[in-house]
Amino acid sequence: MQLIKNLYNYRELLKSNVKKEIRGKYKGSFLGVLWSFVNPLLQVAVYAIVFPYIMRIQTDNYLIYLIIGIIPWTFFTTVINQGMVTVRMNAGIIKKVYFPREILPISVAFSGLINFLISCIIIVLFCIFGGVGISWHIILLPIIALLQFILTLGIVFALSAINIYIKDTEYIITFLINMLFYATPILYEASLFPEKIRFILYLNPMTQIIDAYRNIFLYHQLPSLAGIIYLALIALVLFFLGLLVFRKLEKGFAEEV
Amino acid sequence: MSSVKNYAIKVNHVTKKFKIYYDKASTLKEKLVFWKTNNKNEERTVLEDINIEIKKGETVALIGTNGSGKSTLLKLMTKIIYPTKGKIITVGKLTSLLELGAGFHDDFTGRENIYFNASIFGLTKSEIDAKVDDIIAFSELEEFIDNPVRTYSSGMYMRLAFSVAINVNAEILLIDEILAVGDQHFQDKCFKKLEELKNSDKTIVIVSHSLNSVRQLCNRAIWIKDGHVKMDGKADTVIDKYLEECK
Repeated sequence: MQLIKNLYNYRELLKSNVKKEIRGKYKGSFLGVLWSFVNPLLQVAVYAIVFPYIMRIQTDNYLIYLIIGIIPWTFFTTVINQGMVTVRMNAGIIKKVYFPREILPISVAFSGLINFLISCIIIVLFCIFGGVGISWHIILLPIIALLQFILTLGIVFALSAINIYIKDTEYIITFLINMLFYATPILYEASLFPEKIRFILYLNPMTQIIDAYRNIFLYHQLPSLAGIIYLALIALVLFFLGLLVFRKLEKGFAEEV
Repeated sequence: MSSVKNYAIKVNHVTKKFKIYYDKASTLKEKLVFWKTNNKNEERTVLEDINIEIKKGETVALIGTNGSGKSTLLKLMTKIIYPTKGKIITVGKLTSLLELGAGFHDDFTGRENIYFNASIFGLTKSEIDAKVDDIIAFSELEEFIDNPVRTYSSGMYMRLAFSVAINVNAEILLIDEILAVGDQHFQDKCFKKLEELKNSDKTIVIVSHSLNSVRQLCNRAIWIKDGHVKMDGKADTVIDKYLEECK
């Protein structure tokens, strides 16, 4: 409740902070904001060359399959990477002015969400011109994106606060994210795994998220209801847990940072 | 519960301790390896069992020697840091001027920084729109307002910051040693503005070493010594006593 009140009262700060996040990241570079779209595409290009030819992967529409995996994944990792350090980066203001500290991680998550929604245009373009086409299922996009937003924000709440007290967090998380990338069916298909152990893959909420995006963009079908419910539960639990951690630790920010 | 709250700030049995790290262990390895020895962290008590009630509309000065804890007390009031023990209640919108230009972005123009800085104080866009002209006029930076603030001289920087903070219309204003802003002309102007605010219904708390201004501006002074309230009363009486001891 306090959260909503704070956000409402400080909405102008939130807005200008989100703008700063989006503009500031690639400031000074020639392509500017465009980099946030070019980057994942370049990544896709690498995998699209490496995997079919060297690893002999034979997935239909592999390029589109990849893009629908990479773009949401980029949303996830950029928010985590930027969010983790956001409190530390803003040490200057934190020490000198009071404002609701949660604005910082929330702005990072919001800017990620906006970037992602714009990037979805790329997915749609590839679907149309790649011969897959689009269907009405696309209207479910905001729901899945929202779930991903809540999930990521919860993680960022906790990490940005913990990182102030234990600086190793950054390095540990960078490694874990790297591992999670391969534990999520982004480059490969889940059916690669024998059915008996496949469920482990699906315990990973990112698998559920990317699966849902693929269903609505590529396979033109409804995401599995059980999967969405599971995802929503995990997202909410992580969100409130993260917020709790943040609330517990935020009082020491000005002294510890 | 919501009986007549005629105070603006209430400091209730507040104690603040700071941990003194000689060599701060902040990596996981160090924390794990030294977790036993680390518990021996020295603590320094900066404020001990402070009780102050500041009424609405009062203008109060906190005085004391360097390191007596007055700035810490002010920081506690703004909720930048939190007390180790006790509680601080503030009623109404609060603005602090602890360090001028906190949250300014060097690459943004003066005007953009007004928006950004005022939004940190919790104003909405329309509220800032309504005030932006006043703020610019007060700062007397009309010519430079659309230049990036990194091109400003330090005096101009301070003027802009002070103008924003003083015009956001907070009910409580906390000021830390910044009565010396800009040149004489601007100082006089700030002083006049503060007197104007004092005569309206604002609550002002000032930490200052310029005792003469304090005498003119404040009706009450609180002398903090070694983390305790040494004296609390009429500004003139407290300052006289303080000066006597400083000799």
